[in-house]
Amino acid sequence: MSLSSIPRWFSKAQLGSSKLIQSRSLATKPPRPTFSPPRNASPNSSSANSRPRFVEFTRYSPWSRDFPYSWRTRALLQSAVYAVGIVLATNYVDSVWFPKDTAYASPREIKVAIEKLKQAFPGEQDGEERVSTHPDVLYEHGSSENSYHPASPHSVVVRPLSTEDVVTIVKISSECRVPVVVYSGATSLEGHYSGFSPGSICIDMSGMDKILEINEADSDLICQAGARWEDINDTLKEKGIPLFFPLDPAPGATIGGMIGTGCSGTNAVRYGTARAEWFLNLTVVLPNGEVIKTRRRARKSAAGFDTTKLFVGAEGTLGVVTEATLRLAPRLPTKVAMAQFKNVEQAVSAVQDILNSPYGPLIQCVELLDDNMMQAINTAGFASKPLPVLDTLFFKIQGDQAAVDLCAKTISNVVKAHGSIGKFEFAKTDEEAEELWQNRKYALTSTLGANPGTRCWTTDVCVPVSKLPELAYGTKKDLAEVGLRSTIVGHVGDGNFHALIVFSSDDSSELEKVKAVVHRLVHRALSLDGTCTGEHGVGVGKKEYLVEELGEGTVQLMKSIKKAVDPMGLMNPGKLYPDIPEKTK
Amino acid sequence: MQRRLLSARTQSISVISRNWHCPRTQGRLRFASTSSTSASNTSSLSGRTILLLAGSSLISGALGFAWANRSQPVVSSSKPQYGSAKDFEKAISELKIAFPDEDAVSTDPDDVYAHGFSVNDYHPGTAHSVVVYPKSTEDVVKIVKIANKYRMPIVAYAGATSLEGQFRGYSAGGICVDTAQMNQILQINEADSDMVCQPGVGWVEINETLHEKGIPLFFPIDPALSATLGGMISNGCSGTNAVRYGTAKGEWFLNVTVVLPSGEVIKTRRRSRKSAAGFDTTKLFIGAEGTLGIITEVTIRLAPVLPSTVAVVHFPDVRRACEAVKDVMNKGVGIQCVEILDDLFMTAINNFGQSGRVWPTKDTLFFKLQGHSAASLKESAKVVREVAEKHGGFGFQLAKNDEEAENIWTDRKNAHYAGLALVPGCRPLATDVCVPVSRLPDLIYETQKDLKNSGIMAPIVGHVGDGNFHAQILFTTDAEYQIAKEVSARLVHRAIAMDGTCTGEHGVGLGKRQYLVEELGAGTVGLMKTVKKALDPLGLFNPGKLYPDDDSNSK
Repeated sequence: MSLSSIPRWFSKAQLGSSKLIQSRSLATKPPRPTFSPPRNASPNSSSANSRPRFVEFTRYSPWSRDFPYSWRTRALLQSAVYAVGIVLATNYVDSVWFPKDTAYASPREIKVAIEKLKQAFPGEQDGEERVSTHPDVLYEHGSSENSYHPASPHSVVVRPLSTEDVVTIVKISSECRVPVVVYSGATSLEGHYSGFSPGSICIDMSGMDKILEINEADSDLICQAGARWEDINDTLKEKGIPLFFPLDPAPGATIGGMIGTGCSGTNAVRYGTARAEWFLNLTVVLPNGEVIKTRRRARKSAAGFDTTKLFVGAEGTLGVVTEATLRLAPRLPTKVAMAQFKNVEQAVSAVQDILNSPYGPLIQCVELLDDNMMQAINTAGFASKPLPVLDTLFFKIQGDQAAVDLCAKTISNVVKAHGSIGKFEFAKTDEEAEELWQNRKYALTSTLGANPGTRCWTTDVCVPVSKLPELAYGTKKDLAEVGLRSTIVGHVGDGNFHALIVFSSDDSSELEKVKAVVHRLVHRALSLDGTCTGEHGVGVGKKEYLVEELGEGTVQLMKSIKKAVDPMGLMNPGKLYPDIPEKTK
Repeated sequence: MQRRLLSARTQSISVISRNWHCPRTQGRLRFASTSSTSASNTSSLSGRTILLLAGSSLISGALGFAWANRSQPVVSSSKPQYGSAKDFEKAISELKIAFPDEDAVSTDPDDVYAHGFSVNDYHPGTAHSVVVYPKSTEDVVKIVKIANKYRMPIVAYAGATSLEGQFRGYSAGGICVDTAQMNQILQINEADSDMVCQPGVGWVEINETLHEKGIPLFFPIDPALSATLGGMISNGCSGTNAVRYGTAKGEWFLNVTVVLPSGEVIKTRRRSRKSAAGFDTTKLFIGAEGTLGIITEVTIRLAPVLPSTVAVVHFPDVRRACEAVKDVMNKGVGIQCVEILDDLFMTAINNFGQSGRVWPTKDTLFFKLQGHSAASLKESAKVVREVAEKHGGFGFQLAKNDEEAENIWTDRKNAHYAGLALVPGCRPLATDVCVPVSRLPDLIYETQKDLKNSGIMAPIVGHVGDGNFHAQILFTTDAEYQIAKEVSARLVHRAIAMDGTCTGEHGVGLGKRQYLVEELGAGTVGLMKTVKKALDPLGLFNPGKLYPDDDSNSK
């Protein structure tokens, strides 16, 4: 401790005590030090009496010249004061560097966390560091090309290879109170994996992409959370196993992300969504670092409520999924058909009739593309031949040849009865089917391709099927009124509806307009007994609608579960749960 | 860094404590100024010692007080305190005021007893204190509020078909909420293939109503015949149709209206067929056995009715039958149900003789085939036959018409009663487990062996398509009952060892609680309990069911 740092009143006392040491070491013989007076005979006692009383007490200070007791007591008291001083100072520094009053880590704690991560995961994997703080990497993992929600980069990106690695990361995260955000396929559109300010650890699951076990006899498969659904299906095909995993969200999506978002895709008409029974069990690292397996491998179980379902759609806010057991379905021959209509209403009512008929279960997908979308496909030129610009239905029919033929005939009759226009196209061969389906597949690229130099805001809502025409009309009218271009694609079998709204990237007023249109679209869907998101999830973008959709009670229920499972709020904070003030219980 | 600071801090604290509490041991002090010592200064200590003593006793007193204050709520929350008998009496009289209708509140001993016990299981328990028959969500809220006020347990009662004591009364007494009068179908949306009902509506009634109205849709989850929606949700049920349509844990319940333990009413979702808006709270209540809330309204999804027919084929042994099922399932033909009945069961059915047929007493598969047309049914039947015969199946029979199909299927349906007729005067202990399909033959063989060794009879029926397996263990004497219980316990352990579950569709209730930690692990059970505690901190909803006791298994 240097003298300059000591306050003036303090340095005087300090000097006094150092004099004491000196005198002690030098004066080995009596006489006794003059400034250490005998206890009851102070030379100043008479003058002390004349002083006010409180001043008299100052002589009991261990730095006082008139200290009445032995030098040992003086030293003892002084050291006690110094000790208290040191404790207070340490406490102060500690509280400044590692503040405890805020919920999350201070910048210094984040640095500590990064150091700990680097120690825990040294080395590289596939030419990349296991722990990376490169600004590009951080930015890339924290924001998406496809969404426009405010995002901040992560503080560090870690690549675990096993469940144990994830446990290590989660433990470091809770020690240092740094939030964790899981990153996998990065196809989500509502900012699910964006970074948290002031800092977050991003767990990049790309290293955990192994298929661990295929049980053909039980039609199930165990894989790590970073495995892609397309890779899984390719692997099964390569191995000649006649099974596949039927959930089909965006290409590139991984199992972990699919669970987190509660995804679905075009196949949902026939196979349902991630919330059905495709995930038999999950291995999850809970926020306290505990590893649980939600179920065993049996196809069904009535053993209590299914904790698997807690993590489906939780967007990584309740735990990190590291392994999953998937149920598989038999791969069946598929054909494609197309019908066109004057308006959406006709198309939707035709679909309802078809799905409720005995042939309904053969329908794998039904997709509605509106006239704008068809126009875009023609303009972008991905299709081999231009198609009439009308509201169009694409069907995927699944089954053996005879069944598919019969089903196609039924569809053809039903769509005619509902006023379809032009030829009912039915792809007889696999190549034709592939070609016809391309039109549907290129929806996003066509939308962008037809409007060069623009960007695209993708949003989705879902309503009861019968309300879909109303929703589509209302939205089209709204878009026309504000003068925005948009294409519409609907998974019409589920009442799910995607709008791809085009806007120019340099006109910020257009972005505002888009935001307003999306806002109105969501409200329209909610007023039709629908949901703010059919398959994209809540993330940052749809948080504000949750209370309106589910009611405050349901949202509170979700929040109380979140609080019970993750009391520190370290798992993907800022997503999913709306920021309504906590209600008193 | 932090650790270093901390250690500096503890060091200085230890210095202080030495200064304060051991003024004589100055030799251990680290400050330069006091490095050389001699104990001579004792006279000054007396006054200070008193001061020190007073101070430290004050501090320790304050600490002790704080500790005592803090530990109190921990004690009370780990052991839910229910009201006294007097409180319960008050609650009952308040219920009678809240429900002035004569039949709405019943304390009739027979009624109270009948709502607490079941003829189908043998779990210990007590009768409820009172039975209430609400008519609406608001009525249930009233009951829950009164239960909260007097800390009285609440048990919901629906179809009463459950086998694991899910609606047993709680030892301290409690309110039984019978949903029998909440039996209205509120809305049928044919265009959206969904339907809104109260929880007291039975699935059979729903399907009959749809049939009568000429709506070509049905609700495909088929547990016991008199089960109602509320119970089906709470149990996480399934039935023979699960092969094709999945279970209650699938997407058949679009949303539920629930009265939470706090008395709050929530609706978990809206009516759209899918939603990605966060984790689905509907699923929390499916299989929760009434421990998290009482369901008062349900929106269910419906499926199109398809033509179906029934086929039967016999096999020399269970393994080959299971192989055949696996092959057929992966072919993707329209199979709605596939049931295996073992040779003992076939004997029983022959004895019972309701269909008038005499089946070969061999392990037998009953198929319900489903297709869009007669032609596709025929096609499916052909595939099934080919595959079955490849695996050594024989005596393939396809129902020629709907009537015959119905007739054959009754033989499967009557399995329960046929089994009972096997041993005159016996009672059944029904249990079920579920394993990955490929392990089913092993499970059946080992169980059959175990049964033989124990000298007890148990016909076996399995939903082979799911790997679900029911044994109806027959007993007449108390000694046999004990054996039956032991066999059932071994069966469960065997299933869990095969990566299976202690219950495929009957639920946990009282009977399977003890296996939950073994099956799911302490962590998962801990998570379930965390959720339970968050929703129902007083532990009023169906206490004693589902969750294993804290001390039953070490964590």
